[in-house]
Amino acid sequence: MSRAYRYPDSDTPKRGPWYLLTGFILGALMGLVYAWVISPVEYVDTPPASLRADFKDHYRMMTALAYAADKDLPRARARLALLGDEDSAQTLAIQAQRALAEGSSQTEAQVLGLLAAALGQAPTPVPVTTSGNGTGQANQLPMTPAAIKTRDVSGEATPELAVTPRPEITIPPMAEQVTFIPLPSRTPTATPGAPFMLQSRQFICDPTLKLSLLQIQVFDASGQPVPGVQAMVTCSAMEKCQDSFFTGLKPELGLGYADFSMTPEITYTLRLGEGGQPISDLTPAECQTSRAERYWGSWLLTFNQP
Amino acid sequence: MKRWLGFAIVILVGITAGLYYGWVINPVRYVDTTPTTLRIDYKSDYVLMVAEAYRVDKRLDQSMRRLGFLGAKSPLDSVQEAIIFATQKGYTDSDLAQMRALEKAVQTWNPALKQVTP
Repeated sequence: MSRAYRYPDSDTPKRGPWYLLTGFILGALMGLVYAWVISPVEYVDTPPASLRADFKDHYRMMTALAYAADKDLPRARARLALLGDEDSAQTLAIQAQRALAEGSSQTEAQVLGLLAAALGQAPTPVPVTTSGNGTGQANQLPMTPAAIKTRDVSGEATPELAVTPRPEITIPPMAEQVTFIPLPSRTPTATPGAPFMLQSRQFICDPTLKLSLLQIQVFDASGQPVPGVQAMVTCSAMEKCQDSFFTGLKPELGLGYADFSMTPEITYTLRLGEGGQPISDLTPAECQTSRAERYWGSWLLTFNQP
Repeated sequence: MKRWLGFAIVILVGITAGLYYGWVINPVRYVDTTPTTLRIDYKSDYVLMVAEAYRVDKRLDQSMRRLGFLGAKSPLDSVQEAIIFATQKGYTDSDLAQMRALEKAVQTWNPALKQVTP
């Protein structure tokens, strides 16, 4: 009998190192109890990017409303960046379309669309990162959009945002971690007064379009596309309906572009903006491919401002 | 004695493994949080957005609902906290003026006197 297989103070046969596994499990359990019961996670000081999707929508809406009020595009861009969207303009445009579809106020859809359009055409600001304030002190809070506006590159509080282009960028010691160099931008809007006139009316056979669309393109007097123009659509007398949509909600297709999905066998009338001329007899018609496959064609109306 | 020492060591190893898993391998990710948990600078900027919108639309009911986004605190508390933060951080005079205008409006808000709109 060898004592190497017995405990030194006992005649009980050795049962292996199971006590080690027991200890490990006990330790892990203690860690979990501490993490989940004694000191559970509390969400504090979270960034907007972590918000739930509906709260993000609300945040985007507020950003758009604030942009409509102050026309400060760099600030709006910085605010939207906090949400971590891959393509802010696209996300805004989708939200605007969803707002229209859900029957939200047209003002909300319009401000979302205007900001989407402005983002879609404005130059991207140059992000400049500094690692500290030059005095060895770490920053407690990174800059937020409001603070971006409050300081210029000199680090002094300024009463107004300087939106003039800067010939060169210097980064003196500052307390900010991240700042953006604001670039001047202008948001095109419809010239008040003159109504848009129909320039061309074209029936399009495009087999890549899955739906029959009523497409519009709106340009101002200088030939620039105009976002945020409301188009109202009414149906024929037998099929009473009314709907509206805005240009600029699909910035990837052009800032002055908008479309409306038509239902076959219904005749539509479109009116652009307040007091625009009614364009009637817009009915989906059939097209045919070279292999005799039939599909619905679309209308493309081009408007300009005299 | 040696057995108890080994037992204590593996407990520590277990705790370490649990913490390593929780902090390194699978750390907490903040998702689906509510606005009440936003950091003070983000909350202040949100209040500024409400103030900017209020300056244009003058719809106090709407502004109160928007301030309610920030959660548990009263709208007035949210605005006042934001003003304190904005003052400390050197927001522009125009931003501060807008926030103070909102604060003043919120102080006078009385839902009982709300105009009924059709």
